[in-house]
Amino acid sequence: MRKSLIIAGLALAMATGSAHATGVGVGVYGGLAYPIVQDDVDSGTLLGLRVPVSLTPLITVEPFYMSSALGDKDQTLGGLTYTREGFDGKGYGLNAMLGSPIGMGVHFYPVAGIGKYKLERTGSEDIDEVGYNIGLGLGVGATPKMTLQLRGELNLVKTGDSSRKFANVTGGLTYSLMP
Amino acid sequence: MKANKWIVPALVLMLAAAGCILVSGQFLIDFDLPNFQAQTNSSIVAEDIDLNTESDYKDHKDDLQDLVDLAVLGKFTNHSGGAIGVEVWMTPTTTNYTNSTDISNHATKVWGPFVVLAGATKTVDWNESASLFTKSGKQLLIQEIKGDGQFQLYAIGNTTTYDFSVSNGVLALVLDFAK
Repeated sequence: MRKSLIIAGLALAMATGSAHATGVGVGVYGGLAYPIVQDDVDSGTLLGLRVPVSLTPLITVEPFYMSSALGDKDQTLGGLTYTREGFDGKGYGLNAMLGSPIGMGVHFYPVAGIGKYKLERTGSEDIDEVGYNIGLGLGVGATPKMTLQLRGELNLVKTGDSSRKFANVTGGLTYSLMP
Repeated sequence: MKANKWIVPALVLMLAAAGCILVSGQFLIDFDLPNFQAQTNSSIVAEDIDLNTESDYKDHKDDLQDLVDLAVLGKFTNHSGGAIGVEVWMTPTTTNYTNSTDISNHATKVWGPFVVLAGATKTVDWNESASLFTKSGKQLLIQEIKGDGQFQLYAIGNTTTYDFSVSNGVLALVLDFAK
């Protein structure tokens, strides 16, 4: 049900976006994911795709897809060192931003979003849950069509009444398709 | 500007929903197990586990949400003439079973078989160990961890006759706490 709602939301955002957009871009990004208060996983890498759609000069929505490879965690227990495999993650969802991340000049913007995330590793039950993002972004447009994106986000994947939390730091490039 | 009217309350609602799961973490708790040797029907090994001896567990027991990862770790040596599979069985209260038949009839299998070839010494890998937990055993462990935190473990072989020893043994639990 939640998965259907998120897919429907993404489709709606794309549809309304294309009809009323004042700006549309497509971007790739990559960076680092740092687990927060998690003894069984280490920091890793992430990469993904974003499609910012500026609905008004103040509001931008952004469907995204991400893939992560979290690091293996070493622990010394009983005098021996063991390695626990990190999660492989995938996620998709929708961000909302105040302002536009694309275009000429320097743009600071707050970002928040919701998505569906799946975390998998050997010997653990899959985590397949809704997650939330909140953070700050910086867009630096050196040319009218290409913008450098730097972003810091807290990503929180809900697990029952608890959560897996990650601090993500990413950089990327967004190409402006419109205007 | 109409869009601005709903997006701020929507962000506030989303953050409020996430807030209740923000104060959470996954903590490793490990118990050193004594070195032991187990032989068919003559040397049954039982270990009492009391999670309350671990301050992390004791201090945050009320905030415990789930058991998210677990492993039986250590160095296993097979002194038998043939390959054996080491198994760990559990009882929620203290018992005094004296042979493997009684154990398999009355206790719950939580882990195994971990196969060790004749005469071999093998250190179990965390990823493999996590995969060897049974569904019913994990469920019983969760029940005990959320209950009084006390239970008993037995180590036996899955063959008619067996003779094995374990050194550097550890029971590793990753517990999910949230306020």
